[in-house]
Amino acid sequence: MARILIDNVRKSYGAVTVLHGFSLDIRDGEFVVLVGPSGCGKSTMLKILAGLEDASSGRVLIGDSDVTDLAPGDRDIAMVFQNYALYPHLTVRKNMGFGLKMRGMKAAEIDRRVVEAARILGVEHLLDRRPRALSGGQRQRVALGRAIVREPQAFLMDEPLSNLDAKLRVHMRAEIAALHQRLGVTTVYVTHDQTEAMTMADRIVIMRDGTIQQIADPDTMFRRPANLFVAGFIGSPGMNFLRAAVTADESGARVRLYGQDIALPPAAAAAAQRSDGAVILGLRPEHLRLGGEGPITFSVLPELVESLGSEKYVYFAIPPEHQLGGEAPSEEERRGDMMIARLVDAGDIAAAEKLKLSFDPRNLHVFDINTRNAVREES
Amino acid sequence: MKSTSRYSLARPSRRHWLGYLLLAPAVLLIALIIVYPLLVSLDLSFQNVGIPRLGQTRRPFTTVNYERLFASAEFWNACWVTFKLVVIVTFLCSLLGLATALLVNNKFKGRSLARLFVALPWAIPEVIAVVIFAWIFDSSFGLMNWLLVSLGLSDQMINWFSDPQAAFAVVCAVMIWKGYPFVSIMALAGLQSIPEDFYHAARVDGAGPWQRLVHITLPCLMPVLGVTMVLVMLWVFRDFSIIYVLTGGGPLKATQTLSIMTYEHAFGFFKMGYASAVGIVTLVVCIIASRLLIGRRAESIY
Amino acid sequence: MKARRIDRVLLYGTVVLTCAMLLFPVYWLFITAISPPDTLRSFPPRLWPEIAQWQTFATVTGQRPIGLWLWNSTIAALGAVAISMAVSVFAGYSLSRFRVRGGNSLGLFILTAKMLPATLLVIPLFGIFRSVDMIGSLWSIILAHSTLIVPFTTWMLKGYFDTIPRELEQAAMVDGCSPLGALFRVILPVATPGLAATALYGFVLSWSDYAYARTFLTNAQTNWTANLGITTMKGEYITDWNEISAASILVALPIIVIYLFLERYLVGGLTAGAEK
Repeated sequence: MARILIDNVRKSYGAVTVLHGFSLDIRDGEFVVLVGPSGCGKSTMLKILAGLEDASSGRVLIGDSDVTDLAPGDRDIAMVFQNYALYPHLTVRKNMGFGLKMRGMKAAEIDRRVVEAARILGVEHLLDRRPRALSGGQRQRVALGRAIVREPQAFLMDEPLSNLDAKLRVHMRAEIAALHQRLGVTTVYVTHDQTEAMTMADRIVIMRDGTIQQIADPDTMFRRPANLFVAGFIGSPGMNFLRAAVTADESGARVRLYGQDIALPPAAAAAAQRSDGAVILGLRPEHLRLGGEGPITFSVLPELVESLGSEKYVYFAIPPEHQLGGEAPSEEERRGDMMIARLVDAGDIAAAEKLKLSFDPRNLHVFDINTRNAVREES
Repeated sequence: MKSTSRYSLARPSRRHWLGYLLLAPAVLLIALIIVYPLLVSLDLSFQNVGIPRLGQTRRPFTTVNYERLFASAEFWNACWVTFKLVVIVTFLCSLLGLATALLVNNKFKGRSLARLFVALPWAIPEVIAVVIFAWIFDSSFGLMNWLLVSLGLSDQMINWFSDPQAAFAVVCAVMIWKGYPFVSIMALAGLQSIPEDFYHAARVDGAGPWQRLVHITLPCLMPVLGVTMVLVMLWVFRDFSIIYVLTGGGPLKATQTLSIMTYEHAFGFFKMGYASAVGIVTLVVCIIASRLLIGRRAESIY
Repeated sequence: MKARRIDRVLLYGTVVLTCAMLLFPVYWLFITAISPPDTLRSFPPRLWPEIAQWQTFATVTGQRPIGLWLWNSTIAALGAVAISMAVSVFAGYSLSRFRVRGGNSLGLFILTAKMLPATLLVIPLFGIFRSVDMIGSLWSIILAHSTLIVPFTTWMLKGYFDTIPRELEQAAMVDGCSPLGALFRVILPVATPGLAATALYGFVLSWSDYAYARTFLTNAQTNWTANLGITTMKGEYITDWNEISAASILVALPIIVIYLFLERYLVGGLTAGAEK
């Protein structure tokens, strides 16, 4: 049983708290990704899991044992580091066998496991080389191999792909996913890249400033983000945000966008009441379509068109009454008060030519300006 | 899973103990052979004592050493000599060190060999350097006198070691020769850490070699040079071997630095209380000077 | 702006000239050593003696126990370096990896220790060593040299360890090593070049000491270190320059050899801490 239970772990360095009460229950064989911007505490949490840092309070259980104060070597975990951390003075073979040797395993058994892992990762021909003679991708494989041979209860991976170039990263992503399929070992994976999180995770834990923002599987996190931050973080290009005044009466709550009334769930009225009568609306770029099918249609003048071949990103200005000002989730999300539409197979689009766009209001997300949380029907 | 003791240093909660444990031997050794003697020194400076015998009853506390010291002409002379030496040697060492570093930083075949040779004086023990220069500046048969006379720069043989100014000059020469390689090595390392792109950008902007030197090289090098110069200063302050073997502090105390004066009174006249006082004052001046010059950035040396 | 030929010639010329001028004293030492004494006492001085007298090296070794001097210097240096390295490897590692309370103060103190004039410490050390009857023994030198070496080696090693990524010992700990085990099995092997460079620097520091040697060993002729021995050859009025030069070359040679072959590492050690 390789279940991991993190129970209310806190970490402070003197007066600075880096992790506030982190709790998570990971099932056996699950691939969980901790994702978030730099400094959110994800790496710290991983190090606490590994035993490389001590928690200020809280417990960690791996399998059924309380490992909170156990040495890293006693937790039956293996770790893959961002800069691989291969031992430069040892050959690949000795690198991979190091952990087993420390545990007193017999040489024959070590050799068997090393060769087997090397075969799985396609590095048998490199076994007698030193790390400095390997490319980045090869080193990464060796680092993975070092983790696999230990046959641990869990893998911990700390941004293992960040040092690889873009194409290699895509390739290795698939390899790690395939490895997980094959071995089925519980994995905790840390990254700042939301694409890695979305493509690899069974569940995503998105973090910010030491707190968990949301725990969900990728699809749920995409379709139902819990708050403004999550909504803006997941998905590329990020969600568009508009500020809209809410009018509420007996027929319900509505906002007026581009001259058209859109109905909102009743909870939105309550949210708006708390914040100057307005809410933040979110609309993903892919939910904007070219043409006038509606239900909500409007015309814009694109300021910039980026073409990726198969799809186009069209940038246009947000009407001033809908601009966010200081309420955007983060500086990056302000995007200079532009909205982006992501149009697939759109044909030729020139900037400075008026464009008709439509969207379905059911794809709108509503957020409370004060709490930043998503407003839901069952609120 | 291995079971380890509750106090094992491998446990996350205990790991920081290891930091203290690893420091302990060093702290112990330093306490024994540096801190304790320093304290003894301080203690001695407040006693009117010739040769101390540890374990003997202490002489009474007195400030007579310090009073005598600040009133003595010899002390102020030593201060002046030290000051002159520090300024001249540091300045010329830095100049020569920087110049050689700039020279050797160029790309040419045999560059590594040149680097090696340029810094070779660093590897010559100070005492040997003294031997070399004592012979070159020998008043009867030394090379320097021959050069000066045959080049017409002087009409007679200079008695380098009986003339106060001349002796001071020789001391300077030896120290500069021994000291510049250090500056050269540090400056070269500093030069090589300046990103090429700075120079590329400057060339694109139309800057000539002199402008690149003044506006890019020197500013980028300032931190390293600053630290290096302070280290050279401290070395000149402290140095004993060169001056003691070359001139012994003379003639007429023209080359007697504070360091030499300390030693003289300790092992020449066997007045260790007084000598300790001079030594303490020297140390305090060192600390104040370096603090003033680098201030908070002292950590960058450490 | 392609380098023109005349620029290259100028560059080479300057380099050669500069090296020649700066290294001339060393060359002169060599010439003096192989010149017969009467050549030295006549003008004009020659760039190469008419008759080179190589036997001076042999005669001076016969007259003075140069071998013994070199041996003593080596023993003292090895002893001082051994003690200093043993202590400063751990201290440097601790300062690099751990946030120790008082670590900053220790660092500052080490900095101050580098500023200590030897002439200050020699006085109390003399008193201390006298009371335990160590004056004249090489142990007094070994300990005294450690006071010179430890501040430098701790600082150099800390700077060196800073360049080794922490992930390396973290990986070792995850693999099952204790923190000390990680230090010995992984970090130290990887740090070997830096350790060697630092040890060599310490060796050079010890070798170049004169103040302590003169104070503690003057009356123990059999324990004279090389530097001390050389100075006894410099007379108050008369000096046999060719002999002292030959002896000097023999004494300086070990350090020069070390320097020539390991300059890269020595320099690395010096600068590792300096430029971050």
